[in-house]
Amino acid sequence: MALGPWTVTGPWVPSQTSDALRRRYTRSIIVLAAILLPLLGLTILVGEPDTYFHAALNFINTFVASKGGPAWIGQAVLIIVPCSVVLTLIQVLPVFLVWWEMKIAAHIQVRLGPMRVGRFHGVLQTIADGIKLLLKEDLVPEGADKIVHFIAPLVAVAPALVCFAPIPLGHAGLAPVKLDVGLLFVLGVSGLSVIGLLMAGWGSNNKYSMLGGLRAAAQVVSYEIPRVIALLPVVMWAGSLSLGQIMDKQAGLWAGFLPKWFIFYPVVGQISFIIFLISSVAETNRTPFDIAEAESELTSGFHTEYSGMKWAMFFMAEYAYMFLACALGAVLFLGGGGALHPKLSFIPSYVWFFGKTFFLAFLFILFRWSYPRLRVDRLMEFCWKFLLPWSLANVALAGFLFLMMRSR
Amino acid sequence: MIEAAVFAILAVMILVPAVLAVSLKNIFHCALWLVVSLTGVGGMFAMLGSDFLFVAQILVYAGGITVLLLFVVLLSGSPKDWIIKQVNGQWAWSLILAGIFVSLLATLFRQLPEPGPLAETVPVTKALGLILVRDMVLPFEAVSLVLLAALVGAIHFNKRNRV
Repeated sequence: MALGPWTVTGPWVPSQTSDALRRRYTRSIIVLAAILLPLLGLTILVGEPDTYFHAALNFINTFVASKGGPAWIGQAVLIIVPCSVVLTLIQVLPVFLVWWEMKIAAHIQVRLGPMRVGRFHGVLQTIADGIKLLLKEDLVPEGADKIVHFIAPLVAVAPALVCFAPIPLGHAGLAPVKLDVGLLFVLGVSGLSVIGLLMAGWGSNNKYSMLGGLRAAAQVVSYEIPRVIALLPVVMWAGSLSLGQIMDKQAGLWAGFLPKWFIFYPVVGQISFIIFLISSVAETNRTPFDIAEAESELTSGFHTEYSGMKWAMFFMAEYAYMFLACALGAVLFLGGGGALHPKLSFIPSYVWFFGKTFFLAFLFILFRWSYPRLRVDRLMEFCWKFLLPWSLANVALAGFLFLMMRSR
Repeated sequence: MIEAAVFAILAVMILVPAVLAVSLKNIFHCALWLVVSLTGVGGMFAMLGSDFLFVAQILVYAGGITVLLLFVVLLSGSPKDWIIKQVNGQWAWSLILAGIFVSLLATLFRQLPEPGPLAETVPVTKALGLILVRDMVLPFEAVSLVLLAALVGAIHFNKRNRV
């Protein structure tokens, strides 16, 4: 029997022997390798992108100087180009992440997921969805506060884009803005999105939206606390709030073979990482903690009354925050753009960064499709009675350990 | 030139929403304007080159306190909160008092020396941390004790009301 990708397949179909399955999996691994390995080779050949950028910048500067132009042209290029590159990246990435999530969800549930649009495994599915959202009617409910209803998606999505400014997408030089308080900046600005959720809940003139908005805001505000406290040991260890400096501190090896990433720091690193991971999933309102949306109870929470592009903006904010949490985790716990071993550093740093980030994103998606939703009171209890005390104890333990290490 | 323009924008961003926050009838709108005003204050800190204060302002005031404020508005608001006036019959007196205060401030401001050019932005986080937990550790701990007492007190009163 021919096993086309469109035939309904699954391990329980008796016609499908384990031999056929094995052949399928080997084939898919070969296809994946055939796509990814040439891409990897290309990135190794091209190398770090900032060398090209600085060469171009030098050329512009000398050209402007030779024509007697003002010096601010070079400075403007230095600011505008990296920011627009990152901004574009963050707005395009959800398209890929959503497709990825659909595929992983489908495979976890022994389905195929999108297969038709774009010929190859439905790669263009999210673009088709985006076009559909663009063409949808923009509904504003009767009696809604029209201005608040209109601004709410913007307030939710704008901080998500601003947050990426100090994040080094590779080695420390690949951050669009080098901020000395980068970590605090990310945490602080991402907190502004909660206002967008509350505005959406209130401005929709709908009980379900209001309850959903309140729940979402309560959850985000509560989980922010253990999340920030879990990041304290990293800051204590690195002695800096700058994301670039924290990343550079993690270069090198521990005991000759273990990369010097904070996740491998005995006890403290692992507790920190687990608390950070759990509360990041909760912060992005994703499924084990998606009480804010809770389709079965609140229809869909604060964005019940949104349609078309306004709804898509909330969606984009959610995925941007998911990517932000993964990027933060990669930079703070997995060494960011640092290589696994110094001998592997011929692979450009941004490949390492995106590899680690997408690995964490894969974990996020795996959690979403593996665990059932928590009840709202248990959700809060878990945060305040479990995560918060453990994160505080972790800070104490970290202080003790670092002090012992220093005195020795 | 650019500094003056940024200052003017930030001043408008702070003052106009601040006035709206105390004059609008809809209390939810007031809280939202307060967010804009506090963010503008953060921008002022950034313009003056204090990165830590800028981020702390955004983190604590714009992102933390106003969210709690919005929460209280949404949870405990009664229907008359959306239509009630924010001023009572004595607004004229308070306006006169405010005018006197502003004129006093203006006379004070005229005696100040001309401000120099803005300094280059230097990271202040480490210096601030050293001052807080080394040089000024006793006042710092005393302040945290006061905050802890406030926290415990809030829980205590809440419990008594519930019984």
